[in-house]
Amino acid sequence: MARHVVAAEIAGTVFKLEVAAGASVLAGAVLIILESMKMEIPVEAPIAGKIAEVLVSEGQAIAEGQSLAVIEG
Amino acid sequence: MPHEELLTEFERRRARALSMGGPDKLAKRKKVGILNARERIDGLLDVGSFVESGLFGISVMPGEGDNTPGDGKIVGFGKINGRDVAVVSNDFTVKGASSSLTNMKKIGHAKRVATQRGMPLVMFGESSGARMPDNMGARGMGTMLGNDPVQYVRYRETPWVSAVLGQCYGSSAWYACLSDFVVMRKGAVMAVASPPLASMAIGQTVDPEELGGTKLHAETTGLIDAVVDTDEEAIAAIKRFLDYLPSHANEAPPRKSTPDGSDEEGGALLAALPEGRTRVYDVRKILRSVLDRDSFMEIKPLYGKPAVIGLGRLDGRSVGVIANNPMGKAGALDVAACEKITRFVVTCDSFNVPLLLFVDTPGFVIGIEGERLKAPGKIMNFMTALQMASVPKLSVLMRKSYGQAYLNMGGGRNSDDIAAWPTAEVSFMDPAYAARVVAWANQDREELARIEADMRRESTAYDLAAIFGVQAVIKPQETRRYLKRMLEIHEMRLTRGVGQHHLRNWPTTF
Repeated sequence: MARHVVAAEIAGTVFKLEVAAGASVLAGAVLIILESMKMEIPVEAPIAGKIAEVLVSEGQAIAEGQSLAVIEG
Repeated sequence: MPHEELLTEFERRRARALSMGGPDKLAKRKKVGILNARERIDGLLDVGSFVESGLFGISVMPGEGDNTPGDGKIVGFGKINGRDVAVVSNDFTVKGASSSLTNMKKIGHAKRVATQRGMPLVMFGESSGARMPDNMGARGMGTMLGNDPVQYVRYRETPWVSAVLGQCYGSSAWYACLSDFVVMRKGAVMAVASPPLASMAIGQTVDPEELGGTKLHAETTGLIDAVVDTDEEAIAAIKRFLDYLPSHANEAPPRKSTPDGSDEEGGALLAALPEGRTRVYDVRKILRSVLDRDSFMEIKPLYGKPAVIGLGRLDGRSVGVIANNPMGKAGALDVAACEKITRFVVTCDSFNVPLLLFVDTPGFVIGIEGERLKAPGKIMNFMTALQMASVPKLSVLMRKSYGQAYLNMGGGRNSDDIAAWPTAEVSFMDPAYAARVVAWANQDREELARIEADMRRESTAYDLAAIFGVQAVIKPQETRRYLKRMLEIHEMRLTRGVGQHHLRNWPTTF
């Protein structure tokens, strides 16, 4: 089982968490919505699997490349 | 038979030359599904059209003649769908296709003929670098290497395309970087020098994939345009790319018939465009609906994702597409996106391909990371390239067009004609930020909201149309029809479809 870290492609804030640790997701499922440049940007699951960890909370400021969640799949 | 001895000797020599590095090396490649240098040529060219230059070339080094059939680089001319091209195919089974005196003359010949007679140059890269020990010492450097002052110069008289199909160090890497299109097979490596040499130089083990694999070049350096799984797919990509371009800079690109089933009504387009202004979407869905069916060939899809670029056709005419993609970093243009666009503008301008710009960007990415990567300089490179480009430029303002990015994407007369959708918003910055700038001392939320609403009202497509900042406001689903007609209007009649090529000398990497 591989651990896959999902990172932010852009700096911004966490607008909404769509999943919690323990959830099973399909590849392409929206995990988190970021807000940046006044746009809502969905962060999608790169692989199918189980959410091992969510590393951020709503309203939190994040940097480009920051780890957001970990999927095991 | 008259002259029997002579003809037998000819056949013996020809068979030896065609045997390349010998059956063992060729069998090894076949086993792992990698084509050899001659199979690559066969896959590229129309059957029976190949005419070779230098079949009997060998090494000039004493005693090396028998080990070097073709001297490791196979060169010649042939047709792709009836159009002539020059080809250089590195034969790695002969001395690792290393550069030597004879084979460099062969490459020089292919380039010279391609340039003088106006045909594309195709290069199958797989080479180890300068041949050893031939190039060692003063004699090696003075007589072997180079001695051709136009060896690595690019005036873009004709299209150059490269495939990176194995280890590419030295000339294969240099020529790939000088090309207008580069496709790379997974597992291939492109770098200045080989991993063992790099390891020796810096005293630590270097992983080939990390040094110059597809992931590095597709996502981080942007030095390649496409990644494929097989040699056959690489050949198909080269053929497809060349299909959009003219044989040389002094003619217009070929026009094709329009395939049935192109989305004339724009139904898919309307469905792909979200109603909420803060919602993102994949601009490729919009492009597919506007362009001729299945005609879009995306270039550098994994690099600079806030922009989507590629070649396509509209009404059978070749077009270069530059689109902001809200799906990638909200469409905010970063340094990689600027480089990718700039390089593409250069290619399109050099080969007379009109540009279509699809605009939906909140602006350039601002922040420390971009500044460290010289963002202001990259933004101006992009702007300069667009302003110097003499091919027809048409912009469609889909949604946001803010600040300097408004100009970079064709606003302010940087495109020849601009249409806006009713969803367009034009201003210097997002009103949500601007209201705070204007009312910086005012913390009253209601007052802020009022200022923001006023600013938003004055930022519409109709406001811009009222002062002729755009020439038309169109419904999104009318875009295909509008652009078809505008391409016709802006045809370069005075020069038979040939532009001025101010960008032809632009470096290929910057």
